[in-house]
Amino acid sequence: MAQHASKHAAFQALTANRLLDGEVVYFTESGTWVEDFAAALVVESAKAQDLLTRATSGDYEAHIIEPYLFEVADGVPVSVREIIRAKGPTIHSHFTKPFSDKSV
Amino acid sequence: MYRYDEFDNEMVSARVAQFRDQVERRLSGELTEDQFKPLRLMNGVYLQLHAYMLRVAIPYGTLSSRQMRMLAHIARKYDRGYGHFTTRQNIQYNWVALERIPDLLEEIASVEMHAIQTSGNCIRNVTADQYAGAIDEEIEDPRIISEIIRQWSSFHPEFSFLPRKFKIAVTGHKNDRAAIKLHDIGIVITRNGEGEVGYEVHVGGGQGRTPFIAKKMTDFVPRNKLLAYLEAVMRVYNMLGRRDNSYKARIKILVHETGADEMRRLIEAEFAKIDASNMLTLPDKEAQRIMAYFAPPAYETALATSDILQAAQSANKDFTHWCATNVVSHSQTGYAIVNISLKPIGGIPGDATDTQMEAIADCAATYSHDEIRVTHEQNLVLPHVRLDDVKAVYDALVPHDLATPNLGLISDSIACPGLDYCNLANARSIPLAQDISTRFADLHRQHDIGELKIKISGCINACGHHHVGHIGILGVDKKGTEFYQITLGGAADENASLGDITGPAFTEDKVVDAIENLVDTYMNIRTSADERFIDTYRRVGMPPFKERLYAD
Amino acid sequence: MPTKHLIIDGATASDQWQTIADDISFDGTLDEATLDGKGAIISLARLEAEADTLRQRNTPIGVILRAGEKVGEDPHRLAPFLDMLSLVAIEFPVYRNGRGFSAARILREQYNYKGELRATGDVLYDQWQFMHRCGINAYEIDGDIPLATFTKAMDSLPDAYQPAGDDKRGILWRRS
Repeated sequence: MAQHASKHAAFQALTANRLLDGEVVYFTESGTWVEDFAAALVVESAKAQDLLTRATSGDYEAHIIEPYLFEVADGVPVSVREIIRAKGPTIHSHFTKPFSDKSV
Repeated sequence: MYRYDEFDNEMVSARVAQFRDQVERRLSGELTEDQFKPLRLMNGVYLQLHAYMLRVAIPYGTLSSRQMRMLAHIARKYDRGYGHFTTRQNIQYNWVALERIPDLLEEIASVEMHAIQTSGNCIRNVTADQYAGAIDEEIEDPRIISEIIRQWSSFHPEFSFLPRKFKIAVTGHKNDRAAIKLHDIGIVITRNGEGEVGYEVHVGGGQGRTPFIAKKMTDFVPRNKLLAYLEAVMRVYNMLGRRDNSYKARIKILVHETGADEMRRLIEAEFAKIDASNMLTLPDKEAQRIMAYFAPPAYETALATSDILQAAQSANKDFTHWCATNVVSHSQTGYAIVNISLKPIGGIPGDATDTQMEAIADCAATYSHDEIRVTHEQNLVLPHVRLDDVKAVYDALVPHDLATPNLGLISDSIACPGLDYCNLANARSIPLAQDISTRFADLHRQHDIGELKIKISGCINACGHHHVGHIGILGVDKKGTEFYQITLGGAADENASLGDITGPAFTEDKVVDAIENLVDTYMNIRTSADERFIDTYRRVGMPPFKERLYAD
Repeated sequence: MPTKHLIIDGATASDQWQTIADDISFDGTLDEATLDGKGAIISLARLEAEADTLRQRNTPIGVILRAGEKVGEDPHRLAPFLDMLSLVAIEFPVYRNGRGFSAARILREQYNYKGELRATGDVLYDQWQFMHRCGINAYEIDGDIPLATFTKAMDSLPDAYQPAGDDKRGILWRRS
């Protein structure tokens, strides 16, 4: 399983792609997968593996593929990669997804 | 153009049905993602950053109007209204839903297209010179042998699980527009002393983390023996290629570690056995049958000059510029090859919208004997346009922003999808291409600079061919931030060479300035306007460029 | 490990072979009773070392050809022994490692080997037909896959463009 969070990350969230259409999704507190990063559950790194385990138990493969954790700081993803996944490609302004920072 | 017969149709239909079944089994939970992934990858379906991506094969970059209209239809119905033409002469769709891909594949099969072997560790789409069958002094149309190779390599039972992917390119002309020395196998069509057509074969070129120029393995293989020779190369590779490290699994590493002479000996030994069995000796009648599909179109008799064209050029300076840059002389008197730039100033290299694709399809149907080509530099070509019709083509292209006169100039860069789309990328490529194009938007300045090939990759896999850019740019990731490393002196043509790294990488906001510094340096030291950037670099080397680049 | 089931020439078959580890001596621990009439599949290294003594026995001898990662075992090394081998097991350690496809063709086409060629390891549904085309005639597959599924997979592609180790001539060779 891919790991995009560094060892020193303080906070992490869990993302994947939806099986049917490949859309980027985030794992929420209520155990659902949603498109909006603002709804993502952000946890302290110490609890990140538990989050992954919780999300990938049962028949998760019926809904999502390739789940992995990534680093979040000050309510936004740390890497350019994850910001682009959250917002959409930077080269098509009309495909930009609504994106709101969230405070941790 | 080649047309499917009942065998081809049967094979493609069977594959669509097979994939439909596989998708249903995945969605029903019968197949796990681990089991499904290799199957979708064998059908060109990748998971990228935002969505699934589907790569559709365009064999040797040749399309009919009907096929191009289908590609437009697919963009509109299954994607977000556009497609991306790639350096492998294919098209990629960035937003397709998995559950709809079987329907999509069925639709493209109706115009004799497929996504077979556009991913996975198999023999990929064969690429060829985009001017095939239209350029003067061509020994033979490279699409003939490319189509034969396409069929031989399709569903090859022995070579579908190779150590890594495998790419073959063919040119029939001394000027290499297909970058054959940067392919796993590069084929140059040639003639022997008796005047017979055959093939010079180069093996072990490639880019990626460890770039190599291919080594010539043989000067001449006769037409009917080429498949036997290729099978020998493939068998040696399949048996001996490394499978312990994916970065060392391409045939270029095997050739490098084995040595060209030993590799040649191994190939010749295997070739002798296969040849002795005669099983792969291509029947002459079949070669002739396929050759007939690529016979020249029914040209009209025309004069070598066109009054209509000359009148249009005197009346319209922009048109004259466009002709000088994008129109190439044709082997047939009275005809021209028209290049359609997919690099509008500030645009996304290689992207075309559904309406653009349809406009191009209309142009091809009316003015180019129904043919379109895709180039590895991510542009399109109308190969057979009457001189009398060149202005009409131009007028049809202009409203669609398809008549930028920049072929081979600094704004005609190759860029991989980069971090905007690609799951493997470390940095964005496309915004950089857009920024460079915008910085040098003045076409007079671009023409003054002359031929300058910028190639941009968003990671070390080098899909943007940065190793062989006159100026190459490689995106790297440093702790989640994008940096760009510059190389100079690469070339992908018959004088192929790999670029040299200038020094430390640049931040995103400094890299366009760096490119401008390189261009200014070149403009100051070139001996004349005829000395291209690459010529100057080869004459003076790195020092003056490096000095300017890192002056501050 | 899920249980495997054996299909030979398109039909379910019982396994007449046992894999014998290199450290089990034929003279000592491994008597005829232990083998229970079954043939012995041994490593290539052992075959090369003990061929002369093994020829003296009545036990049917087979060999397993390991695919390896950096390097695989070379099928040409079997050449001096093919007369005494009635089975060659070709290992596919992971589905991506396709060396065995070439090994099978070399044995069938260059050495005219007529005995059993058995695919063993990570043998995927979508590879069975290709394996058959390369000359493999026996498959160790997951026990819960019905024979009908196997039969269907063998027909998943209706035709072939190229000749290989089976009797298909290849579309390119048939049209004219």
